[in-house]
Amino acid sequence: MTGYVVRRLLQLLPVLLVASLGIWAMIYAVPGGPVASILGENATPEQVRELTARLGLDQPVLVQYWSWLVSALSGDLGRSLHTRDPVLHLIMQRVPATLQLGLCATVVGLVLGIPVAIASAIWPGSWLDRALSGWSALALGVPTFWLGILLILLFSVELRWLPSASAYVPFLESPWQAFRNTLMPALTLGTYVSGIFARFLRASLLGELKADYVRTARAKGLRERDVVGRHVMRNALLPFVTVVGLMLATFIGGTVVTEAVFTYPGLGRLLIQAIGSRDYPLIQGCILFVLVIYVLMNVLVDVLYAYIDPRIEYS
Amino acid sequence: MTSRRARRRIETARRVLAHPGALASTLFLVLTVALAFLAPWVLPLDPLHQELSASLEPPSAQFWFGADELGRDLLARVIYGARTSLVTAGGAVAIAAAIGIPIGLVAGFFGGWRDAVLMRFVDVLLALPNILFAMALIAVLGRSQLAALVAVGITGVPSFARITRAQVLSLRQRDFVLAVEALGGSSSYTMFTTVLPNSLSPILVQVVVLSSVAILLEAALSFLGVGIPPPTPSWGDLLRTGKSFLYEAPTYAVLPGIALTLTILSLDTLGRTLAAVLEDRREVAVTPGREEGRT
Repeated sequence: MTGYVVRRLLQLLPVLLVASLGIWAMIYAVPGGPVASILGENATPEQVRELTARLGLDQPVLVQYWSWLVSALSGDLGRSLHTRDPVLHLIMQRVPATLQLGLCATVVGLVLGIPVAIASAIWPGSWLDRALSGWSALALGVPTFWLGILLILLFSVELRWLPSASAYVPFLESPWQAFRNTLMPALTLGTYVSGIFARFLRASLLGELKADYVRTARAKGLRERDVVGRHVMRNALLPFVTVVGLMLATFIGGTVVTEAVFTYPGLGRLLIQAIGSRDYPLIQGCILFVLVIYVLMNVLVDVLYAYIDPRIEYS
Repeated sequence: MTSRRARRRIETARRVLAHPGALASTLFLVLTVALAFLAPWVLPLDPLHQELSASLEPPSAQFWFGADELGRDLLARVIYGARTSLVTAGGAVAIAAAIGIPIGLVAGFFGGWRDAVLMRFVDVLLALPNILFAMALIAVLGRSQLAALVAVGITGVPSFARITRAQVLSLRQRDFVLAVEALGGSSSYTMFTTVLPNSLSPILVQVVVLSSVAILLEAALSFLGVGIPPPTPSWGDLLRTGKSFLYEAPTYAVLPGIALTLTILSLDTLGRTLAAVLEDRREVAVTPGREEGRT
């Protein structure tokens, strides 16, 4: 098992190296290069020379990449061009907000998705199944940012129940305020997630319901509720873990868009602001951060899957 | 041979359109495409003409969808926005196919080190969620319609590469491919005249699916303010501006969203029906005695 984890991590190295090279090279591909983007257009030749030397830009390219990589690995992602704050510090400030949104959206996704999947898998082909499949198609097809706008129109403009711009309030500090501020973003992102959950779990349940052990369980007189609840669910949830892996990409993308709709102060908004103000160290930092998290979580899902399903060989 | 292929295509189209959902989707898409590209000649609407006295006017006989903050006709902007969306999505899918299909073809056909190198390259493209990859590219290229098109296109490369590769792998050792090689067909001849034409079904499905992904991604980028720059009307940008006027003009952000959502849902429905029909046809072809029907 340990060998498998190590091997999986080693496989990642080339991907991470090439991707980090791409992120590092970003700033050199910008018209005018890094010096012009930092100093602006009205820089004197002395300033340009001085900054070039200070940033190490007169060094060979590979040396520059190496020193960038080494400091990035030690947590030094440079400083924001605008606020002069360390990039890692700015990123870490936003992580709890995005994490809270992500967790709430997952809960919404599970609460909406699992009953839908069970209902449509128990009565496949029925009008209920077709209605619920339509619902998941809709949940997946409606753009998250438009759904968010519709929710704001309903809950903020029409009913005046919830604030149209969501602040980040930690749940442990003030549960009620946190609920009011997170409800709409979590519903927006969670609806999409529920569509994925419902579709995959339905397929997986349908597959399990055909298995021999289900017939045995029914034959010995078990109530349908127990057949599904005790036997089928456990096995159907297994491939579900991979869905979580498949979902990660859309999930991270979804938080960026959802945060923009509700002007929610998470990591996604930080990145958008950085792009808007051409703050390249901050852009690089955000993208590198997401890259590492995303890739590591993918490995985690693989390992978890291998761990809970003993049929999978580690070799 | 050609006529048989043509007949099969007509048969596939007929069976796709037999589904009511797919038929409605096709009709909607045809209408959207027609409106988007014929608008300058057919409709007396100008998406850039400003009438400041009509600013944020609700839907009326003059402005069916209302007017935006500068008094421009929103119906015109939604229709010309369709044009932007379709052109961007079409270009993006073309780029994705032009890069992804050859990668998958070569990787699957030759295997070995070419496969390893090419697929690692594809893995790098997958190392970031689509929208972030596109945002990073746009941060470098600068904000323009071309940048959005290229960025969305490159995020589509991996799916074409993987699907083509899988398809090629399943055909590689089949007798008809080996026969062409045994008769002296060169690698490129075999790839392009024998393997590729027989891999087109899943690629076609991918084109439809990816069109919907591309339209959504382009709209999301414009909504975030990093996609297509104004004053070119685009659905994402309409939603972005409309969001600022939710209290003054609620329909502003609702109507472009309906156009966007219907387009995406139509492409999804069409893609899924097409996949089901093609899958069905293949099964029927492999086991001729089998009763024709869906599982």
